[in-house]
Amino acid sequence: MMIVDLFIHPTSWFILGALLMPFAKRFGIQQIWLIVIPLVAMATIYRLPDSFGIVNYLGFELQFGRVDSLTFIFLHVFTLMALIGCIFGLRVKETGQHIAAFLYVAGSLGVTLAGDYLTLFIFWELMAFASTFLIWYRKKKRSIEAGYRYLLVHTAGGLILLAGIFLLYQTGHDLSFGILSQEGAGWAEYLIMIGFLLNAAAPPIHAWLPDAYPEATVTGAVFMCAFTTKTAVYVLMRGFPGFEILAIIGACMALYGVAYAVIENDARRILAYHVVSQVGYMVCGVGIGTAMALNGVAAHAYAHIIYKALLFMGAGAVLEMTGRSKLSELGGLYRTMPLTMIFTIIGGIAISGFPLTSGFVSKSMIVAAAGYNHQPVLLVMLLLAGVGTFLSVGIKLPYFIWFGKDSGIRVKEAPWNMQLAMAMAAFICILFGVYPAALYSMLPYAAEYQPYYAYHLSETFQLFGFTGLGFYLMVKYLKPHDVTNLDLDWFYRKGSVRFISFAKGPIVAANEWVSNVYQKIGLRMTMALARAFSWFDKEGIDWTIDGSARNIVEGGNSVRQIQTGRIQHYIAAGVIAVLVVLVVVLFI
Amino acid sequence: MIARWIEYLRERANIVRGCFFAFLLFAVIFDFLIERPKPHFFGDTIIGFWSLFGFLGCLLMIVICKGLSHVWLERKEDPYDDR
Repeated sequence: MMIVDLFIHPTSWFILGALLMPFAKRFGIQQIWLIVIPLVAMATIYRLPDSFGIVNYLGFELQFGRVDSLTFIFLHVFTLMALIGCIFGLRVKETGQHIAAFLYVAGSLGVTLAGDYLTLFIFWELMAFASTFLIWYRKKKRSIEAGYRYLLVHTAGGLILLAGIFLLYQTGHDLSFGILSQEGAGWAEYLIMIGFLLNAAAPPIHAWLPDAYPEATVTGAVFMCAFTTKTAVYVLMRGFPGFEILAIIGACMALYGVAYAVIENDARRILAYHVVSQVGYMVCGVGIGTAMALNGVAAHAYAHIIYKALLFMGAGAVLEMTGRSKLSELGGLYRTMPLTMIFTIIGGIAISGFPLTSGFVSKSMIVAAAGYNHQPVLLVMLLLAGVGTFLSVGIKLPYFIWFGKDSGIRVKEAPWNMQLAMAMAAFICILFGVYPAALYSMLPYAAEYQPYYAYHLSETFQLFGFTGLGFYLMVKYLKPHDVTNLDLDWFYRKGSVRFISFAKGPIVAANEWVSNVYQKIGLRMTMALARAFSWFDKEGIDWTIDGSARNIVEGGNSVRQIQTGRIQHYIAAGVIAVLVVLVVVLFI
Repeated sequence: MIARWIEYLRERANIVRGCFFAFLLFAVIFDFLIERPKPHFFGDTIIGFWSLFGFLGCLLMIVICKGLSHVWLERKEDPYDDR
């Protein structure tokens, strides 16, 4: 591949940007660098050829670039989001955090453009690895722990995906990444689907998301809420449209996320649960699988990335200025942070799907597709999730941060770059609401949809009006308390502790019993045996044993030196081992 | 400026509340007047269905979720912080 070809690919720009970031910092142009790279990457996506970067490596045909209208809309929103995120984090001094964010975006763009499973897998792992640092850079004990859990869960998900890829190769000897069919789907397809669904945060494998995102850095959370789950939605759209199971999983996700958002206290945790809920709409749309549903998924992914980032920016700005994110510790901030309030409320009404916002024109497409496809149960579940969305993010979140009981906090408004980023996102939310053609013109499939008609408006007015009435009547009951709610991460957080205490109890007891038996019976036998061997030993093979004993001691020493106890070394060793296994399995 | 405007509205909470109830009334009346497309399920044929759906959905969600949280899921401090 020529060097010129290399820079057709937008990922190359983000990787170059990440590599040169320390030098940009050294010459004092880090802030310019943070703006230029996303802009250049954005320019490249308009000039991508349909297919490029085909490399033959070890007998595999890797395709780094496969472009069609579905790729384009995701590339468009990902690069735009990278720009908004960089503006939001412009004043973050730590170069490492920017490098992590750039590599994360690079991974996401790489997955979007990947034409085969191996390329996809490489960038998939890059995303997981880079985003972990966005959590660790918060540098609190909770964040370090949450980051390790995040990395472990994603490594497990990556291995499941890799297992599916191996099985797929075994049956078809073809690794190109295209539409899989529901008929005849077996272990390979479903393992790949589970790998994808883990990143889409589908219950019961979703708990990593509300565990990790609230612990990430302020800027890190803004990036993370946009890329991991939506890349997963993209690959599901590419591989699994029309798989009925996804429609059911998606509708359940939509309600599950909302239910937790109603009871949670931490602002960023509420928003994290709403990622689960909103991605549920998209997974459901993928499962419905009609042209209109898939268009709805693409439109909703675009709209969702922008308004969810806006909400995370609003909550992040409050956290940055006040140092708090729990609703029970906030309140009355409208006095000093009114602009952040307005932007966040725009995000809140957009996610709820108010008329004249992006959510109204995108979410309703998926809901309508469920209706047209004669799936009223899905339709009702999605609309109920919409009620919960408006209740928790449209009203509860802004009410308890900016109004409610005055917390007495008086801080300055967020800095200009954060406000600029929020204003850009808020503008896009409104733009798509009043001029849906701007969004619809990018949609990949041919399907006519007009969001503004009387019945849809009437339905929306009633749903929101009476949800508001419900909130008004129940506001005392909804008052946030300083509590955390258990979720399914209990199984690997508390469950592992239980396992260890089980190990300390019954297993240790059993072990002691066995060793007692051994001491009483086994030891005597061993002694007798030893005497016999001792006799044999003395009889003439002393010299052989002496030689090998010395060798064993030396060998033991060198093995001991390999065990450094550093997790990085183990990760590196693991990666090398996986590569070796890969090579052995595929070529021998 | 924005803060002062909000203070102004907060001092006139009755008017704001009045506007809100007027909107609810409007939403129901509006549902009588509009043309209904081909229904997707029975709810689409009932006038005011979505008002009831929104209101009951909201109340049920609060009661069920808060109830579940209260009796089962909620923990005062970080439930995992016991090492």
